[in-house]
Amino acid sequence: MVSKNKNPEKDGVSRRSFLQGAGAAAAAAGVARIPETVIAGQNGVATPEVLGPEAESILLKVNGADKKASAPPSTTLLDFLRNDVGVTGPKRVCDRGSCGACTVLLDGQVVDSCSMLAIDAVGKEITTVEGIGTPDNLSRLQKAFIEKDALQCGFCTPGMVVSCTALLEENPKPSRNQIREGLSGNLCRCGTYQNIIEAVEHVSRKGG
Amino acid sequence: MPKEIQIKVGFGDQFRDLTVRIQDDDVKPWQPGDRLSLIGQSTPRVDAVAKVTGTANYSYDQKPKGMIYGKILRSPHGNADIVSIDIDKAKKMPGVRAILTTPEIFEDESARYAGAEVAAVAADTEMQAEAALRAIEVEYDIKPHCVTVEDARKEGAPQVGRGEQVNVARISPRQRRGRRGSNSDMDERLARQEAAVGKVIQDSDVVVEGEFSTQVQTHAPLETHGSVCSWEDGRLICWASSQATFGFRNELTSNWGGVRAKSCQILSEYVGGGFGSKFSAGREGVLGALLAKEAGVPVHLLLDRSGEQLSAGNRPDSVQQMKMGVNKDGVIQGTRIRSWGTPGTGTGGAGAHNDGIYNIGEVDKIEYGVRTNTGGAEAHRAPGWPQGAFALEQMMDMAADEIGMDRVEFRKKNDEHPIRKVEYDIAKDRIKWNRSLTRNGGAETCQGLGIASNLWFSAGGGGASALVRITKDGQVEVRNGAQDIGTGTRTVMGMVVAEELGLEMNQVATRIGNTDDPQGPASGGSTTIGTVTPAARLAAYHAKKELMEIVADRKGWDASELDLKDQEVWRIGEGSTGMTFESACALMDDDAIEVLKGRPRRNYEGFSDTNAGVQAAHVEVNQATGAVKVLKVVAVADAGKILNPLTSESQVRGGVIQGVSFALFERRIMDRQKGRMLNDDFENYKILGSMDCPEIDVVLLDVYNGKSNTQVMGLGEPPIVATAAAVANAVSDALGVRMYDLPITPKKVLEAIAKRDAAKEVPAQKKGERL
Repeated sequence: MVSKNKNPEKDGVSRRSFLQGAGAAAAAAGVARIPETVIAGQNGVATPEVLGPEAESILLKVNGADKKASAPPSTTLLDFLRNDVGVTGPKRVCDRGSCGACTVLLDGQVVDSCSMLAIDAVGKEITTVEGIGTPDNLSRLQKAFIEKDALQCGFCTPGMVVSCTALLEENPKPSRNQIREGLSGNLCRCGTYQNIIEAVEHVSRKGG
Repeated sequence: MPKEIQIKVGFGDQFRDLTVRIQDDDVKPWQPGDRLSLIGQSTPRVDAVAKVTGTANYSYDQKPKGMIYGKILRSPHGNADIVSIDIDKAKKMPGVRAILTTPEIFEDESARYAGAEVAAVAADTEMQAEAALRAIEVEYDIKPHCVTVEDARKEGAPQVGRGEQVNVARISPRQRRGRRGSNSDMDERLARQEAAVGKVIQDSDVVVEGEFSTQVQTHAPLETHGSVCSWEDGRLICWASSQATFGFRNELTSNWGGVRAKSCQILSEYVGGGFGSKFSAGREGVLGALLAKEAGVPVHLLLDRSGEQLSAGNRPDSVQQMKMGVNKDGVIQGTRIRSWGTPGTGTGGAGAHNDGIYNIGEVDKIEYGVRTNTGGAEAHRAPGWPQGAFALEQMMDMAADEIGMDRVEFRKKNDEHPIRKVEYDIAKDRIKWNRSLTRNGGAETCQGLGIASNLWFSAGGGGASALVRITKDGQVEVRNGAQDIGTGTRTVMGMVVAEELGLEMNQVATRIGNTDDPQGPASGGSTTIGTVTPAARLAAYHAKKELMEIVADRKGWDASELDLKDQEVWRIGEGSTGMTFESACALMDDDAIEVLKGRPRRNYEGFSDTNAGVQAAHVEVNQATGAVKVLKVVAVADAGKILNPLTSESQVRGGVIQGVSFALFERRIMDRQKGRMLNDDFENYKILGSMDCPEIDVVLLDVYNGKSNTQVMGLGEPPIVATAAAVANAVSDALGVRMYDLPITPKKVLEAIAKRDAAKEVPAQKKGERL
């Protein structure tokens, strides 16, 4: 746990926490955290709590296991996963939330891990592609990806697998258009979209 | 000594016998009717499990012990010289371990485009490296700039280059230097050519002309350029995001490369795309290796997205003036072509292949390279072809319409390719060429069809060896040091070995992307598969022969009668001996059979020296918004023998998708005032996404092509050649007005509609004239 973070947010990434992250990362300065209660106007007085810029001990639950490392509070979730605790499935491609290669699940919700802070993921269940299935225990979607050749260079694939898993979780019988919409946050440069759609349909036909 | 063999070549109902001379230890290509168990069967990629589970470790993912991070400082100015660089403050920043400057490393004080490398820092963390970059103080001598071809061609335009370098240079035919012929001779020859071809065009029944332009397209591979470098006991180990492992190594060991490593190993087991931009180590590769040397610890230096977009390569733009004379019987008489394009601050490599594919009569063609203060071009998937095909195929439709001939029949009339002749009809049939569509009406949406052709030349060549090892306990491994950038090379390399040894795919281990293994080619010109697989098959064939000799010796059989099939030893023409592959291997005295074989340097004769291919597009255009939706693309493709239909189809789909993306969305946008690229990211540099992806109907023709023992041709580049041309033709067909510029944005569509409707209201214009 981040010792000073007594106020983990409840619902994924808010615009506010994203903006804090962006500003803090640019300046490598401290992160000012205003308690939710102040925002809501329910409390009269409170001082913004400043974290960093020194490294903090951060503990995250990644794919069911505790992962702990020391990192500045301005570290994005993606960089924490990749550089600090060695979870390299999520890829850094655009680093600003436009390509989806860094997609992970945060309490089951799809997020771009490059566009939120690691400290905002404290106390939540983080699932990366490594947590969807392993080489010895592939998920049905991963098997369908292999069978339908829904990957070429493979660099977008971890994000695609995570997004499609979430899509099928939410809607086990998506239409072709719903699949396209579900994938619209993930870019592939090699051109595997049609194969990915076929893989999702293959799983969907066999029943969620 | 070479020996002569008889082979059958051809496809469909067109086969013929050939006598060819093969290298004496080469193996005969598979023949029609041969019983093959893997070749020609859709086979999932051998590295797919690693890729779908996130366990595939790319260069970007490497983290050798003690690794720190490198970052590059880039010039913000359109055109400048570096006067001085002060690194004193940066050196004292926390975590900083090494700082290098480009004038010192590359002996180059110029920064000729916004994005040019100025300095590089290695620090313990990425944030520390970025902070140190901000503390470096650079004094620039800022010069005026030109960032577009239009600006650089103007009279009195600022000089882009240095010294005697002019902005515009003729690149084809080349300006001559030295004693062999003078430039005035060349000028006279070109003048005679212009007059002669001009007369041929003039004397034709019909003349069509137009000026076409295409945009700069960046490669935008998802894994950026760069490497993780580590020096171990004087040896440089580099995990490189490269499509030319051996070329990358040679740059780092050569005298001219700046690094001059005495020994170097490149590791590229997984590469996140290349598309032609990753042949060279680049400045980032050199800086990474030198930062690691200076810091004494491994350094991770892969570009950020901005650096990738600014400096890591692009497809040059083009302006193509085309004029074509055609007779009423449909035969093209002559074509005049002038083209301009910018490869960045140099002049070479910006040509457009607008005179290939069809017989276009007598040709008068001159190409010019135009220097601009922009990031440099690199070979980009079929360099010069998509832009050339765009101009040529618009001209083909304009000419066909002018003489009143069906657009496909007109193409056939000027095309002799034996495979493409068949492909036209398949494409026509699958796109429903003769269907009635709402075209050019008052309706809000209209639809159209377009057709265009591919051409490529890629049977592979010398420059690859493969190692096949069969162990006493029945393990098989094949190795080649080249890379698989997502094409499926690794998988087909395993397939040909498994086929030759009569094994299942999962019994053959493959290793690729390691320069300590046998020599392999760069992934360029779509030659990888045609270069690597014949070497792999040859090595497997000879390893099998050695094993069969051991078996024959032990059992008192005749080795020449033995073969391996269905994981057992067979007697040729009779069937299985009942001996399994494993028990055959167990007869070895030694621990393993190892065979290293080089691919024959030369190809022998075959059915066709070129790949063909035809694509047809069906589009819908919203006339109120100008938005174009590509509904379907039929892609008929051939590539010699199709070894793995699954990955071959993926290559074609990928080419089509990048082609549609080029046709409709992608373009580098330069700020002419500030001289900087405005969309060095993925928000504003739009590449095709899942919502824009058309239905792609791939038809693969299997051609027994001869030429090598696997008879395969490459398929990476050909499928992107025709796509944008076919889409543009379909849009023009839908609207009833020609599209001259890529990408076809809603704004350009609305402008074209406005011109079309304005033209309807005035007396009919001269036909063929640009509206």
